[in-house]
Amino acid sequence: MGGVRILEWLSPALAVEAVDWDQVFREELPRVYNYFRYRGFDRPAAEDLTSATFEKAWRARDRYRRDRAAVGTWLVAIARNAAIDHLRKPRLDVPLEDTALRDEATPETDAMRAAERRRLAALVAALPERERELLALKYGAGATNRAIAGLTGLGESNVGTILHRTIALLRERWDEEGGAR
Amino acid sequence: VSDDGFLSGLREQPRPGFERELRGRLREIDERAVSGAPAPWRGRRLVPALAGAAVVGALALAFTLEPVRAAAREFLDLFRVQRFAAVRVDPERLAALKQSGLDLKSLVGGQVEVVVKPVEPLPVNSPEAGGVEAGIIALQPATLPEGFALVGAAVGRPGEFRVRLDAGKIRSVVEIAGADEIEVPDHWTGATIDVAMPPVLITRYDRPAAEGETRPADAGYVLVQARSPEIEMPEGVDLPTLGRLALRVGGLSAGEALSFSQRIDWRSTLLVPVPLNGADYREVEVRGQQGLLVTSPAPSAAAPTGTRRRASSRSVLLWSERGNVYALHGPGSGWQVVDIAQTLQ
Repeated sequence: MGGVRILEWLSPALAVEAVDWDQVFREELPRVYNYFRYRGFDRPAAEDLTSATFEKAWRARDRYRRDRAAVGTWLVAIARNAAIDHLRKPRLDVPLEDTALRDEATPETDAMRAAERRRLAALVAALPERERELLALKYGAGATNRAIAGLTGLGESNVGTILHRTIALLRERWDEEGGAR
Repeated sequence: VSDDGFLSGLREQPRPGFERELRGRLREIDERAVSGAPAPWRGRRLVPALAGAAVVGALALAFTLEPVRAAAREFLDLFRVQRFAAVRVDPERLAALKQSGLDLKSLVGGQVEVVVKPVEPLPVNSPEAGGVEAGIIALQPATLPEGFALVGAAVGRPGEFRVRLDAGKIRSVVEIAGADEIEVPDHWTGATIDVAMPPVLITRYDRPAAEGETRPADAGYVLVQARSPEIEMPEGVDLPTLGRLALRVGGLSAGEALSFSQRIDWRSTLLVPVPLNGADYREVEVRGQQGLLVTSPAPSAAAPTGTRRRASSRSVLLWSERGNVYALHGPGSGWQVVDIAQTLQ
């Protein structure tokens, strides 16, 4: 690998792989933010964690390797670590349904939509950690099953199966609660 | 509501103003990096100067597939970089080969044992101190463009590797690349090649940001210097043939690869792959040596709105001198990089 290593250390400028940060902000910022929201963080925490994710990516942008991962996948990988670090810190636990209630109970928010969000948040919050993580990646970050497999270490088909079951379960509970209301 | 449509119900747009605030924080990061003296080293890109992982593998082949007889290991020869030579590679061909099942990363990478783990660059107090760590007398430019000054120095350790050859895997490469004219002898299997990469001193030069301007961390000039890497390999290695294989994988025809391989000294020349329709290159004289100047086109929209975009192009000048190798990176088409290199002392 001599030739490779030599060039790795001598020729960084040749490896310019431009990242269009305007596009990243436009497309990836909402994904990263929603990943944290689906993980159950309230808005201020989701903003803090999104900021931390982008700041870390910005500092490491010269080491980003397009051949290893798409920008979105790279950012979500950083976001996952940020979430893990955050959850490890001592804190007051705020259940997702509570944060959803607090978040949505604003004068500007449509009451019906807020109620649906609360219902959904409560259902998601009741799921096991792994299923919540997969949902956050799928619906918050908008990641493909393949990308999720790469991020989580699960097989792609396994990701699909877990998501399918989880969605079916949520759908069932969603309809049950909807019918009971 | 579709089957999973209801799950999108939690999606929301970030608060208006959040994006603007975040962009401001990123600008501050760059401003802090430039205003400090010396600026903290923030990990320059240390990735292959290549068009992709497949090209990395192609280049690797040039230095790892030497035919070796295990019994002749005591007759070791030494590869030292004395000059650089550019070779055009075709990223589309590499992509096509990959589609055909050529996974150079696993074919070659699986044969590499890390003997000494690489260490990312760590800041040092001065170029002189870094030179001591790198085992070299640190060269510094005597003159720089107006306003430019040293803003950081770091030393990295690329590590040491041992490559174990496997004739079967190499034949797979030959077959998929359609390089039938290249024969791979059985006795290559099991042979090992040791690659030692000396520590690398990296110094960065930049100018203060103008009012309202944000200087990206990789703006300005970057000088990389190190002792020549060493590769131990047995006597009798048929490097030109092996180099031909790398060139064939890179996209050269059998005739072109043969002609190219006959023109260069494989024991002292490091190939620099330049993608077709990508960077331009030319040979230049620098400090009495033959250097290679490679100019990359401008990256498009490399910085977010509100920050200064990078120069229109960047160049890197590579040369070897007194047993050391040097690379000087900078903005522009290269003439200024060559001028600065001439003043190193």
